[in-house]
Amino acid sequence: MADTRKFNRREVISKGLSLGLIAGGAVILGKPDFLLAKEKPVGIPDLVAVKNGEPDGMFKKAIELMGGMEQFIKKGQTVVVKPNIGFPRVPEVGATTNPLLIKTIIESCYTAGAKRVYVFDNVVTPTSGNAKNCYKLSGIEDAAKAARGIIVPVDDFSYREVTIPGGKKLKTADVHSLILDCDVFINAPVLKHHSSAHLSIAMKNLMGIVKNRMEYHLTGLDQCIADFCLYRKPDLNIVDAYRVLMSQGPAGPSNPQSANIQMKKTLLMSKDIVAVDAAAARIFGKEPEDIGYIKIAHTQKTGNMNLKELKIVTYAM
Amino acid sequence: MTLIKIRKIMSGIILILFILLFVGPEKLSVGLSDILLPFQFVPALVQTITQPEALFIAGLIFIVLITLIFGRVYCSFLCPLGTLQDLLIAGSRRLGLQPKHSFSKPHNSLRYTLLALTFVAILIGSLSLVSLIDPYSLTGRISAHFLQPLIIQTYNLGIMALKPFDLYWYPKQTAFVPLSVLAVTAGFFLLILYLAATRGRLYCNTVCPVGTFLGLLSRVSIFQFTLNQKACSECVRCENVCKAGCIDPQNASIDMSRCIGCFNCLNACSQSTISYQRRQRQTNIDNWSPARRGFIIGGVAAFAAGLLAFNANIRAFLGANSARANPPVTPPGSLNTTRFTQTCTACSLCVSVCPTQVLTPTFMDFGVSGLLQPKMNYEKSFCDYECNVCCKVCPTGALMPLSLDEKKLTQIGEAELLKDICVVFVDHNNCGACGEVCPTHAIRFVDKENILYPEIDKQYCIGCGACQLACPTVPRSIVVHTNAVHKKAEKYPYNLAPPRVTPRPSGGQVITPEKAVEQKKPPNKDFPF
Repeated sequence: MADTRKFNRREVISKGLSLGLIAGGAVILGKPDFLLAKEKPVGIPDLVAVKNGEPDGMFKKAIELMGGMEQFIKKGQTVVVKPNIGFPRVPEVGATTNPLLIKTIIESCYTAGAKRVYVFDNVVTPTSGNAKNCYKLSGIEDAAKAARGIIVPVDDFSYREVTIPGGKKLKTADVHSLILDCDVFINAPVLKHHSSAHLSIAMKNLMGIVKNRMEYHLTGLDQCIADFCLYRKPDLNIVDAYRVLMSQGPAGPSNPQSANIQMKKTLLMSKDIVAVDAAAARIFGKEPEDIGYIKIAHTQKTGNMNLKELKIVTYAM
Repeated sequence: MTLIKIRKIMSGIILILFILLFVGPEKLSVGLSDILLPFQFVPALVQTITQPEALFIAGLIFIVLITLIFGRVYCSFLCPLGTLQDLLIAGSRRLGLQPKHSFSKPHNSLRYTLLALTFVAILIGSLSLVSLIDPYSLTGRISAHFLQPLIIQTYNLGIMALKPFDLYWYPKQTAFVPLSVLAVTAGFFLLILYLAATRGRLYCNTVCPVGTFLGLLSRVSIFQFTLNQKACSECVRCENVCKAGCIDPQNASIDMSRCIGCFNCLNACSQSTISYQRRQRQTNIDNWSPARRGFIIGGVAAFAAGLLAFNANIRAFLGANSARANPPVTPPGSLNTTRFTQTCTACSLCVSVCPTQVLTPTFMDFGVSGLLQPKMNYEKSFCDYECNVCCKVCPTGALMPLSLDEKKLTQIGEAELLKDICVVFVDHNNCGACGEVCPTHAIRFVDKENILYPEIDKQYCIGCGACQLACPTVPRSIVVHTNAVHKKAEKYPYNLAPPRVTPRPSGGQVITPEKAVEQKKPPNKDFPF
């Protein structure tokens, strides 16, 4: 299912960019197949990094550099935006994705023609009171609603079991049906310290779409986080590194005054979940190969953590 | 408007408010608990004894005063279980199960013995008997264990049905109630259903200790119901409508100790033979004899039980401390296990309001002396760091009204890490499920070759159980042991944690890091890649 979608998108991108070439030069060259088979369309960077702006402005710049939201969303598609809303914390703590960013992403999805945009996260301690607190306190519920996003509270009945192809430790996962049924999946994590995984970024954020997260903890957090990406990679990863929680993660203190925050004012965007995690690790001040799951995912060929090999576009505001 | 109408409206409103108290949203429950509970006899009494608070003392005085003036009107106007029975009685009358009531002899030995035993049990330090038969606690358990789950499951079904239309609401969860506790609640509920449907207010006049006690006061109340024998045609209309079965037209007597003050008889009497007026002196003393015997029996039972109370073995048997080698964790605000078991009447109000459903009513976990009292059940849930609702609603003072800041530093138990089964120590893989959820940073991680090993700083632990719930191993590698006496936890020194948060030179205030960065240097335009 994921493969079909990827093919469709690639097809569209390829078509748009290549039609002229095919019609003109490529036919003369006599090798039109070469263009269609190419891994990436010309001009689209592997990773975009923007800094020194506000969350909304940085996102707009980044998506522009990425070639526009239309690269990822076709008219009439359903989209899931998956922020990190794992803990009942106010945005100032840096434990949850910036609400303004989420709002801007949703607006951009609708502008690109999305039919529906869902927002949800499986909170870490899912009791009814707590889930509500997480959605409310993080400011994401209000922000999403303001942009006509559909906030979906978690329940126990919305998960379906899938097999992880080639998963070393994680063989199956119970994935939220919204992710399984949507056309476009946008991963919108926050970069923060994590007590038991060093960092929580894009790959770690995908624990919030599975129900059997305790299996990760039990059998080895790093391997399982990397394994899940063998099943499904997000269509786009947008990492919020605006306000970065540098210690006491992933929850941080409940009082923002006590939070160890650094204003990195950075936003990262990539289709490659390993690359975006690697870049975010650098922003945090760590080396990608020191983070267990980034290294494993790189070896499992989920993506590329060697930033030097990538086409990176940076922009400082 | 007749007195009956006033009674029906008032008691109806109170019953509805009680149902809202137990099934309504958190804020409503807290508000209602402040208004309703000081005017319930047992909570007011226990609160006055253990944790004197003006409102509850006033409530207790109010109840005693209105009883001394008007008789047992409490039972018809204020008691939610009484109103519930009135509804059942009305229903059974419609169905023809109980077309008329009739006079019955009082079960004096039983009721006075129960009252006496209840008092003795309280003196020994056990509220078990009160918990079982007190009308308020019963109403609470019936609402919390049956009504609330019913309403919540209906709500959840409703929101499931809305999902296909892209309308999403937060699902709710119900508290876990063990089968043994459910059986006790169901048993009493059925008993009350049966008695109300067939024998009127027999429960109130035989089992209920509040009814019996207020009956003693009501004998000497200023206003009394009297039957004028000369004018009475013995039409027994009054007897037929008397739910308490306390009117005896043949002997022209009305047993004020059992009269629940419903005023039905005043309306029923066509000749105004029954009157509600100031007590005449001659009428009172004669009616004492049948009651006196029961009272004496009750007194003897109380005396015997009182002697037993000083027997060390019985105390040990009843005592909470002998309940188990590993006694359950008690909720915040309970101060210590002994105090908790001696003040909680197991109304399950805290169980019904707890937003994380961590409170579980237990059958015998606190021993015979603490039947049905709630514990912190960390196998089912955890205590939310940002919440102190249970402390706010508890009507008996079993849970002190701790402020949120006090509660956040109250160590109700202590977590212990079992390194021989913890996956990180056994498999050398990152797990960290416990540290992720610890709200006080009592669990920290030691980095050895990029593997993060958990350690507990017990001074910060408040025993909320989040780690125990999160631990993925079976059995759990991190468990919370109770503090028999609650302690004060240390405040986590955020300022000592890795840099960045800088103290302001003038005072202890902390500069918001956002400003600090902006003021110090111009924006850095480099990327680390």
